Amino acid sequence: METKSNKKYQLTDKDFRQINIRSLFFNQWGWNYERMQGSGYLYIMLPQLRKMYGDKTKDLRDIMKMQNQFFNTSNFFNTIIQGIDLAIEEKEGTKSLETVAGIKSGLMGPFAAIGDSIFAALVPAIMGAIAANMAVQGNAIGAFLWMAVNFVIMWFRWVQLKFAYKQGVNLVTAMQGQLNALTNAATLLGVYVVGALAATMVNTKIIYVAHLGKMAVNFQDKIDMIMPKLVPALIVGGIYWLLGRKRMTSTRAIFIVIIVAVALSALGVLGKAM
Amino acid sequence: MGTIAIWQVIILTAYSMYQIMDELTIQSSLSQPVWAGLIAGLVMGDVKTGLIIGGSLQLTVLGVGTFGGASKIDANSGTVMATAFAIGAGMKPEVAVAALGVPVASLMIQTDILARFANTFFQHRVDKMIDQDNYKGIERNYLYGVFPWTLSRGIPVFLALAFGGPFVRSAVAYMNDNLAWLSNGLATAGALLPAVGFAILLRYLPVKKHFPYLVIGFVVTALFSTVYSNIGLLGTTVAGMNKSFTTAFASLPMLAIALIGFALAMIEYKRSTSSETFSASSTNGPKKEVDTENSEEQDGEIHGDEI
Repeated sequence: METKSNKKYQLTDKDFRQINIRSLFFNQWGWNYERMQGSGYLYIMLPQLRKMYGDKTKDLRDIMKMQNQFFNTSNFFNTIIQGIDLAIEEKEGTKSLETVAGIKSGLMGPFAAIGDSIFAALVPAIMGAIAANMAVQGNAIGAFLWMAVNFVIMWFRWVQLKFAYKQGVNLVTAMQGQLNALTNAATLLGVYVVGALAATMVNTKIIYVAHLGKMAVNFQDKIDMIMPKLVPALIVGGIYWLLGRKRMTSTRAIFIVIIVAVALSALGVLGKAM
Repeated sequence: MGTIAIWQVIILTAYSMYQIMDELTIQSSLSQPVWAGLIAGLVMGDVKTGLIIGGSLQLTVLGVGTFGGASKIDANSGTVMATAFAIGAGMKPEVAVAALGVPVASLMIQTDILARFANTFFQHRVDKMIDQDNYKGIERNYLYGVFPWTLSRGIPVFLALAFGGPFVRSAVAYMNDNLAWLSNGLATAGALLPAVGFAILLRYLPVKKHFPYLVIGFVVTALFSTVYSNIGLLGTTVAGMNKSFTTAFASLPMLAIALIGFALAMIEYKRSTSSETFSASSTNGPKKEVDTENSEEQDGEIHGDEI
């Protein structure tokens, strides 16, 4: 451990530039149902991770696996989380694996909420109204104005990474020697947020309605009386259990889930909720 | 529909493929209906008509954002269709939206789901490449995502521009009649797949240690989201029956849910730092404690004397 800390890699402006370019132009290319921006998060900082941990090391493999897990946030704010992440990893290395996993999952929810309400609702509503009202009169200036505003937003996305990194450095310095406490709090928040997301992002419900004579029994209504969103919770719990079984890989698990979902949907048991 | 030239079909298809990548990354506003109208107008040789169509479609989608990767009716391709057929074939824009924009959008919902599925495959290829230390492979398999994304937009738009509305409509009808079980099944599986992501993520977090917080996060959100969505449903229903009811109910603010989590995390942080300092700095800790105890006792004595 001591020898490793001597050759710790220090991030340079070139690194920040590379991360920003990857985030601005390539984020979400790999967006998928299972882990959403998961592989994107890894892709954006892969060159820096390689410099920090060294190629073909077990450390790098462990970190890459962790960074390749479920992640989804506003694509306007993802580099804020990555900046804080890099500051912690730069200082603590693989010791911070659990802290980073906790911080990522803990912060993705709130930043998604803020980012969506500003950049997916507020800005398009204001700039869209201006551009549309000019456009229906045959005037294209409003469209260019909107683009200009979005370039200003891109500038903010560019500078926020280094700002977040510095805040991250301050955070780690202020919490010197408190990594355990930080890990504890960060993983607590991460677990809490995953619980919250399981209740909102697994949009599925029982669509089967049993007809007993003249009476129709709607199973979803009955389940909602016991506990709302019980079905998503059981599914997450079931898959968690499945992943703990011997010789079970995430690839196998996902095939099982897809086949079972298509079959149950075809049988009219399970469906997509609004 | 022979009035739309091949080169116009190709450029408009290329634009529809570009716009989704723009939307995913830099969000320069080029994917918005006003720009779709402007660009399609330029390609078709009548900018003004394009702008008017783009502007009116922009107004209809105002304030409707993309939340959490949900598939929605696509105003961008609707604008491209309406502009191309209004200028090229002399259709009325409203007719073009209904005859072409709507079937293209419903076809696109299917291709969108397929694209997000296809990327799950590349996600697992990345998993494999990590084990093989193949860094170029990781990056390549991530960037391959560009193909499902662009094709999911390009194919429906190309089919509609090249073969017209009846063809797309019959394609959609075939999907809905003969392949309904498959498209419903894939939609259900798509809704279910984040559960796999969460389950794997939980394996990286000390879930046993923090299990109570998993329960709190889930229950608080499950209850509030049910209440919020039911009130919203009630509001829309009442508004439909009585025009004087104009109150719009917001959906559940996730930030509020997250703030509860922040508070819990801060409590935990304070608790674990204070317990650490007690055990770590044994020379300082007890002294301070004695001091505070003394002052408290003094306070107590003074009060006692006064009474």
